[in-house]
Amino acid sequence: MIAIEGVSKRFDAARDRRHLALNDVTLSVAEGEFVSILGPSGCGKSTLLYIVGGFVEPTAGRVLVKDVPVRGPGPDRGPVFQEFALFPWKTVLGNVMYGLQQGGVPRAEALARSRELLTMVRLSAYENFYPKELSGGMKQRVAIARTLAYRPNILLMDEPFGALDAHTRTGLQNDLLHIWDKDRKTVLFVTHSVEEAVFLSDRVVMMSSAPGRIKQIFDIDLPRPRSRAELLLDRRFQDYVVEIEKMFDDTAQQAPA
Amino acid sequence: MNAVRQWSERLIGAVPIIGLLALWQAIAMSGLAPPALLPTPGVVFARFFQQLGSPAFLDHAAVTLYRLFAGFMIAVVMGVTLGIAAVGSRAFAAIVTPVVRVLAPVPKIALYPALTLTLGYDDASKIALVIADAMFPILLATYQGASAVEPKLAWSARAAGVSPVRTLFTVVLPAAMPSVLTGARIGLIISCIVVFLAEMITSTDGLGHLLMRAARNFQTVDMFVPLIAISMLGLMLNALFNLVRRRLLRGFPEEK
Repeated sequence: MIAIEGVSKRFDAARDRRHLALNDVTLSVAEGEFVSILGPSGCGKSTLLYIVGGFVEPTAGRVLVKDVPVRGPGPDRGPVFQEFALFPWKTVLGNVMYGLQQGGVPRAEALARSRELLTMVRLSAYENFYPKELSGGMKQRVAIARTLAYRPNILLMDEPFGALDAHTRTGLQNDLLHIWDKDRKTVLFVTHSVEEAVFLSDRVVMMSSAPGRIKQIFDIDLPRPRSRAELLLDRRFQDYVVEIEKMFDDTAQQAPA
Repeated sequence: MNAVRQWSERLIGAVPIIGLLALWQAIAMSGLAPPALLPTPGVVFARFFQQLGSPAFLDHAAVTLYRLFAGFMIAVVMGVTLGIAAVGSRAFAAIVTPVVRVLAPVPKIALYPALTLTLGYDDASKIALVIADAMFPILLATYQGASAVEPKLAWSARAAGVSPVRTLFTVVLPAAMPSVLTGARIGLIISCIVVFLAEMITSTDGLGHLLMRAARNFQTVDMFVPLIAISMLGLMLNALFNLVRRRLLRGFPEEK
């Protein structure tokens, strides 16, 4: 589904301030797979996601989606950002409808689809609210609905729950898995929480920083559908978390902070 | 509670204006200037309200308002379009930036003689001058505001399949609206000043013309009346502007 082939990214702020964010990253993600990218801050994990999204161009290498090279953003890949990136001048409903209306979907159809999605993320009572009137967790649910509206095959999630408190965060993890279980889209999920990565993913990709590259890939062999309450008691879940956490600590210590 | 606070804020805001009028009154009464040259505010305001009933005076005010408003609106359209286009296209920015740098500091009033010669003494030359002066702050504010828009807003639109040009107008421009409107507010104030100046220099009608005519005839009371009138016009336009602004910025975080 997604093939990342030898992708490198260098940022040239000035001649003497070059920064190699990604160095020769190769990764392939199967259709319907939920893959988390884990790593210390500054390891280029978000940059990698932006390259897959077509928002940022790689310095070297390429990304193929369904065997077609990525040349820019497209509705087959829907991003969800940590900062929500909602349109402040539009209501909740306006945000969700935006992509559909721009895409020429008739108003009645766009309205029906948007309301359906808002019901799914439990926000139908808030369709006329503006983003500034919502809590962080609600904003991110709007953003997820806005992205799901145009039916992307792939979700690119950039620390989507990073700005939320612990309670809201676990709530949204459950919501996400619930939504994902319905049609099993391919998901690339960037996070720096080991527990979150293990709970959600089929595979966890550990990256190291300076320059960013893949350090190790863990297969998470836990049954689905997953329930948080059960997994927390599951020995295998705990082992994965401990093992990856340990590796994460080693990686973070090597990083120049 | 809120209404009480709003009114008390308005009352506090009135204090410096009352202070200014009091200062004017004090100077007029002190005998520093003979009453024939510096009338008291009471006399001037009485004349102003009397003139509000005069069709001839209202015609002059309407002419000024028309030039001001037409010039300002064209300046908004041009400034916003050029500013947004410069953010959208690097090539266009490369063309526009040097032109703006060269033209922005030029005192546009110096172009006015040339404008009257080419466009005539009527509305066109005054409107052109208003455009020339009001456009730059709007253009610069639009450019700055649109450049500073969080890229992820535009990415969200692009990922939904929206073209770069449509993204510019449906996402980047609305997201830059607070900044655009700040530029427009400055442009509006400049428009008030410039239309008046132009009418003072060469005109056969308008509030600026009334002022010059009164000054030449030593009608000192009538000389101050157009000043009150342009200030009132400015207040009215500002109130209208705030109405539009509140509507456009609904959903954005409050400034205070």
